[in-house]
Amino acid sequence: MNQAEKIETREHRAVSVDLIIEIQQFLYREARLLDGEYLHEWLELLADDIHYWIPGVQTRYRNDDAKFSPTRMAFFDDDLEYLKIRVARAKQPSAWAEDPPTRHFHLVSNIEVEPTDTPTEWTVHSLVINNRHHADDDEMELKARRVDLIRRHTNGSLKLARRKVILQQTVLQAKNINTFL
Amino acid sequence: MTNLSTKTDDKAELASKVNDWVDAEEGYIDRRIFWDDAIYSLELERVFARCWIFVAHDSQLPEVGDFLTTTIGEDAVIVSRGEDGKIHTFLNSCSHRGNRVCFAEVGKTRRFTCNFHGWSYGLDGSLKSVSRPKSYDGKSNFDKSRLGLHQARVESYKGMHFACFDPDAPSLEEYLGDFRWYLDVILDNDEGGIEFIDGNIKSRLKCNWKFPAENFVGDSYHAPWTHSSALIAMFGKQPTMRPDRSYHANANGHGWEFGLDFIGNAATLNSPQILEYLREHEARFAERLGKLRSRMVASLSSANVFPNLSFLAGHNTFRTWNPKGPRETELHTWVFLNANAPEELKKEYRRGVMLTFSPAGVFEMDDGENFENCTAVNAGVVTRRQKLHAGMGLDSRIEHEELKGNVHQSQINEANQRAFYQRWADLMNAETWADVPVR
Repeated sequence: MNQAEKIETREHRAVSVDLIIEIQQFLYREARLLDGEYLHEWLELLADDIHYWIPGVQTRYRNDDAKFSPTRMAFFDDDLEYLKIRVARAKQPSAWAEDPPTRHFHLVSNIEVEPTDTPTEWTVHSLVINNRHHADDDEMELKARRVDLIRRHTNGSLKLARRKVILQQTVLQAKNINTFL
Repeated sequence: MTNLSTKTDDKAELASKVNDWVDAEEGYIDRRIFWDDAIYSLELERVFARCWIFVAHDSQLPEVGDFLTTTIGEDAVIVSRGEDGKIHTFLNSCSHRGNRVCFAEVGKTRRFTCNFHGWSYGLDGSLKSVSRPKSYDGKSNFDKSRLGLHQARVESYKGMHFACFDPDAPSLEEYLGDFRWYLDVILDNDEGGIEFIDGNIKSRLKCNWKFPAENFVGDSYHAPWTHSSALIAMFGKQPTMRPDRSYHANANGHGWEFGLDFIGNAATLNSPQILEYLREHEARFAERLGKLRSRMVASLSSANVFPNLSFLAGHNTFRTWNPKGPRETELHTWVFLNANAPEELKKEYRRGVMLTFSPAGVFEMDDGENFENCTAVNAGVVTRRQKLHAGMGLDSRIEHEELKGNVHQSQINEANQRAFYQRWADLMNAETWADVPVR
């Protein structure tokens, strides 16, 4: 796909089917890496300036817009350094909570791709369900709405540059989040 | 499921067994206290409906009309800043049919109005108006002044507001006792005290609330083992805990395990700015607190104010363990810092706590797993008959010329846990506050 084609589609506020499929496949592949705990490989999908954000969401009245805010407490408000620390911990043999391993799937759906003012970046909306089973009967499920900024790297590959994850739950119904969404 | 909460005879019979459940002298704990529905019902009455429970820091509700909702035991309450500028705490349940009158967890308002029949309450919980008031004309016992939302007492210590539903409870100052002297280490190491950073992470754990509370009151023993993965990932090594320079201290069941290493906890926040701030202010902390207590400001430590307010000095996080049945707990987590600290440190502390001690944090991740399994195994009736051992440091009590309360040498100890369960047993055993000894 050449640059002119992207700019063309941008003017129509639409993107090519090829690009949509490419981005869908990127997100599905990302989900499969997370399912398989290939966390170092997952880090490779991230841009160097990644901002990975899962804010705490509050139950507030309709007339109160401040359901979440960048200056408030968050589950994740990470740059690449923080994400690498989390991966390093998960990969320690003494990460007791990870052994036996959690059985994950990340179900990604409702993917919409929108152009941005930068021809090599797209806003991508999606929904994600992360189902976790651990040990015998421990099941947790996280459901969230995501807004990503996906960027075409100079080497041609796609990278995740921004991710905002808005959890459905204001009170997390889980003892931890030992994965990425 | 049995519920003995209202039968006085059953309560007395149950309470008479408390001494079988907690042997604080030898350090044996009966597992039924983490599982049994009847014990839990009594606990809601004799611990949570009776103790001073943390509800808000002053900085969370700066203006008239600011409110938040939380729970005291399983009683839902509204905490609000009234027209009088004071913090009020009252039941979030309409006096008419009991519906909730507030559904937001935080916000700003002038009235709390019930969706059911339009009964409307002021910021102090008093009944202000109802829909169709003329319907009560004629012979009626409708008296607005008697139909306000049920009030808790509210008292505060250095910005921390606590509420209590028992009119016979001692004052907050007496309740905290010598522990106030320790609380000053975080609440009063700098002019202006502390403020809470906006927001609050909430999560559910399938555990009895006492497991995390006792973990914070004294369990430094678990840290190098449970948190090995995070310590190695972040530092490549374990922290050094020195028995000769560390302590367990407790008063009235409140407890703090700590070293005198000054910055051990803060060092895990991954923030050079925070360490720089602490080092720059070390002399000022010492001026305010004395040399010894200044060494606790951010040291390797953990603490709990009985029953369910835990904190970590240095990480600068407070949290409450709110019971949701004997086998489920709702955790509320906040981050705080000195009110006069540079503005940019807010982000440092907020992100540092997030990375370490929040549900996705590299330390806390392994804790939840432990607390849940310690609870769930007690489904087994034979398992439940086996007492837990909490007997480390039985002979560690010392007299210390400066440290207040009951002091024990070495933070690798279970003295504070025993004191926590002793206080719990004292309350469970007592008909009224008059029967609760000062510890």
